[in-house]
Amino acid sequence: MKLQDVDVAVIGGGPAGIAAAIKARETGAQNVVILERAEKMGGLLYQCIHNGFGLFYFNEDLTGPEYAHRFVEKAMDTGVKGLPETMVTGISPERQITAASKGEGYLTFRPASIVLAMGCREKSRGALGIPGTRPAGIFTAGTAQRFVNVEGFIPGKRIVILGSGDIGMIMARRLTLEGAEVAAVVEILPYIGGLIRNEVQCLHDFDIPLLLEHTITRIHGEQRIEAVTVARVDDGKRPIASTERRIECDTLLLSAGLIPENELSLMAGVKLDTVTGGPTVDETRQTSISGIFAGGNVVHVHDLVDNVSWESELAGESAARFAMGGKGAQGKIQLKAGRNIRYIVPQTISGQNKVTLYMRVNDLEEGVRLKIGNIMSKGLRVVKPSEMLKVELTPEQLEKLKEGTSEITVDCERRERK
Amino acid sequence: MATKEKLICVGCPMGCLVTLTISSNKEVAGITGNKCKQGEKYVLEEYLHPVRTLTATVLTQGSLQPLLSVKTTRPIPKTKSLPGAIALAGLKVRPPVKAGDVVISNLAGTGVDVVATGNLLS
Amino acid sequence: MSELKTEVLIIGGGVLGTAVARELSRYKVDATLIEKEVDFGWGSTKANMCIVCQGADHLEFRKEYHRSRLVWESMPLMEPMCQELEVPFNRVGELALFFNNSGKEKYEKMMARAESRGITTHQLLDRDSLRRLEPNIAREATGALYDPSIAITDPVRLTIALAGNARQNGVNVITGTEVQDIKAGAGGFEVKTSQGNISCEFVVNAAGMAVDKVAALVNADDFIVFPIRGYVAILDKKVSDLVSHEVHARPEAPGESNIITPTVYGNLFIGTPMKLARRGDDATNREMAVVALRNARRLIPDISEKDIINSFAGFLMFRNWELGWHECVVNTSSTVPRFVNVSIGFPGVSAAPATAREVVKLLSREGLELRENPGFNPYRKAITDFTNLTDEEKRKLIASDSRYGHVVCRCETVTEGEIVEAIKQGAATLDGVKFRTRAGMGRCQSGFCSSRVTGILARELGIPEEEITKKGGESRQLLYKSKELIGGRE
Repeated sequence: MKLQDVDVAVIGGGPAGIAAAIKARETGAQNVVILERAEKMGGLLYQCIHNGFGLFYFNEDLTGPEYAHRFVEKAMDTGVKGLPETMVTGISPERQITAASKGEGYLTFRPASIVLAMGCREKSRGALGIPGTRPAGIFTAGTAQRFVNVEGFIPGKRIVILGSGDIGMIMARRLTLEGAEVAAVVEILPYIGGLIRNEVQCLHDFDIPLLLEHTITRIHGEQRIEAVTVARVDDGKRPIASTERRIECDTLLLSAGLIPENELSLMAGVKLDTVTGGPTVDETRQTSISGIFAGGNVVHVHDLVDNVSWESELAGESAARFAMGGKGAQGKIQLKAGRNIRYIVPQTISGQNKVTLYMRVNDLEEGVRLKIGNIMSKGLRVVKPSEMLKVELTPEQLEKLKEGTSEITVDCERRERK
Repeated sequence: MATKEKLICVGCPMGCLVTLTISSNKEVAGITGNKCKQGEKYVLEEYLHPVRTLTATVLTQGSLQPLLSVKTTRPIPKTKSLPGAIALAGLKVRPPVKAGDVVISNLAGTGVDVVATGNLLS
Repeated sequence: MSELKTEVLIIGGGVLGTAVARELSRYKVDATLIEKEVDFGWGSTKANMCIVCQGADHLEFRKEYHRSRLVWESMPLMEPMCQELEVPFNRVGELALFFNNSGKEKYEKMMARAESRGITTHQLLDRDSLRRLEPNIAREATGALYDPSIAITDPVRLTIALAGNARQNGVNVITGTEVQDIKAGAGGFEVKTSQGNISCEFVVNAAGMAVDKVAALVNADDFIVFPIRGYVAILDKKVSDLVSHEVHARPEAPGESNIITPTVYGNLFIGTPMKLARRGDDATNREMAVVALRNARRLIPDISEKDIINSFAGFLMFRNWELGWHECVVNTSSTVPRFVNVSIGFPGVSAAPATAREVVKLLSREGLELRENPGFNPYRKAITDFTNLTDEEKRKLIASDSRYGHVVCRCETVTEGEIVEAIKQGAATLDGVKFRTRAGMGRCQSGFCSSRVTGILARELGIPEEEITKKGGESRQLLYKSKELIGGRE
């Protein structure tokens, strides 16, 4: 495949990128290439050795590597070209890509369309601003996961984990099964930041202390971390000094936030949504720049890889259509986040076709009704910020929209008690 | 007198809160609250015999790849998770191994096999 | 090492010690530099705002003030030194804001005084001119004193380059060596270190945070210095367009500035005023970030907490305010001959070139014979900077060595080739690679690259990955191998 003939260039070879690339080929694009910075395709799935992947997509309970393998195999079968150890260093608004590749040299080319699938990064200690000294032994949970599951190292034997995000809870179990002691999982909110399943299977199962409404107020240790000081927080999430106590440890894992990795998107001039941190997209997953599409965690941080795959297939299909001269969906109806809604993806829809809306709430609430404008509503027993909501709108429901509607507000309202 | 048991279904990351109705003769009479078919199966098992799929890594020998990811072919009793991990710690696998190959049978006396979830080619 | 004999022993591998070493290497002198950390510039040198020739020294300059004079003399030497050593040097210019007429008058007076002493680089800007230069400046600023000559650099890279160049030119440069005791005798000194004994005739004490303690070992501490600490927060490159000059506003007392400055790599630094603190207590806390942000927003309102990607505390040893704002310690000890103490306080980086020359003069006056070293080579090649190559140069480089096609640090675009160069240059720790290449300094703060850098270090140094440290000593990152804790390894 010659680079000047590339129809669809997919940036990122994780679950999002591979799904997009396969769908692009299936839609009819001839030359589809994936540019992936790591040593092999599959992204972070290869270090996620736990199960829970693919229950919806494949109707099977797979581990990360198995889920990745299915997609990587299919990609090869459908004729997708993969370029590993290839880092995209720039994208221009005119879709000119520059990349440095160990195997292929320095690449510059302009594909007919681009799918952004770079995923997200973890919030670092520096970004979290945790007070204290700067010793060795502090890792983000994902980085620790790579060391433990791929490289063959255990960072330490007495671990404290900040943040009850999924990666943190999964690492709590993983490290326990590798013989380490997890002294505490420290969470600033009154509930966990990840999925309930992980609280049960990772923390309850192993009697790992979960300190809700707590935070770390200081890191101790000069060369290697020796301890952290934790404290309970008040309603304003401020530490209460009188509750401070010291927890000895030799390792600190941070699982306190994921940020869509959009540096390349910014270079391309793509418009970002300040709430999601990712590009604003329409129902075809096209960004504000014609010919540049996006899918997966780079658009908004997902909980289930199954949704990442489905969403990215949309992006891949649309990118292929664009490359083959097709037109995107017409009309721009803005989706507005109303009461207790943090964000909605896609940010705009055409109102013509069936569409799936993904959204998250701001606060945990029980007994609510999700209202999508005047189109439809749905009662939900509980909504949590850590669990994404998914609502499908059928063409019949969309027909209820008045002519010339430019905006639909989504609200999460309290249901009345009788 | 029927009683109700509330359990978090851990069949998938959704974590549905499922209610089991237990009849007076200790039989499970009803299950509600699950969002998918797998959920029913999972909650029954969790109530009667709590089990977990053990996923782990094993050391390799004669390969540049330091570890191979593995899993139990089916869930094992919850109480066997740690003993299972300890049993796996003593293994060393040599290439070639393909995903699905058995790396050890009858893990920690559970009667369950452990298979590779990735490849170890060289 | 165990036993070493040398003519001049330089204690301290920060910017001052290494500058002295390089200066000495212009002569046929048997010189040795020892540094207690495993790499250079890890004390005060690495924890500052990287500004060269700060305005305070210009505006208050008087040649009778020692430090002031050293900075003044260093000014024309700094840029050529950075060029010879291929270290970044960028004249961003400085804006000292004022917010009312009395502030303006104060600056006018200072500017006139500076001019009378020969400093003619300043211009007074009104509101409109200020805004043309910096559209995002706070609305409350009514004007500024502008000095286009102020520059920024990378002090750690400069220090590493100085040490490397000194070594190239014959100085024995040793890391991981800490002074434990010094005995003065008739002919010289016996210095006991953590790696063995050194006998020497002359000592240059440039031990930074320990300068007074080292001097005290041999009763050469005829000066008093205090530890003062400041806090610096690093802002994400994506907000770098907000300001392009070093901007500050000076309240009444010196050392109380609000300040924001670009860095040579495209980040922004904001900082807090420096205050007296317990020596070595470099822990940061939330209040520091709050103060730094509040102060910086007075200058550039559009920055926010979420732009912070990392922060650190910086220490330096300072002379008492009462002794004189512009004093420093660069002199032969009054009690111990042939023992030269070197402590600038701030701006240590800006004063380094002239201070090094002055120290050599002091040594000469103490009897050190200075014969020219005809083989002295002032030039030192820097590590390849992939990001600053043209597309064609990148192509050629990757074609000649595929390791330059392997980008390891995504955030800063640092390739495996550059990391290997850094290791060959002497980096043996994660921080050593970081300071030489920037790998790990980006917005993900080594989240992605640390496992790869650890692997490359282990491979190039031929040691197991679990022995790689963050910053030497006991700072290993990975304490155990897989299965070591759960049982299963032989």
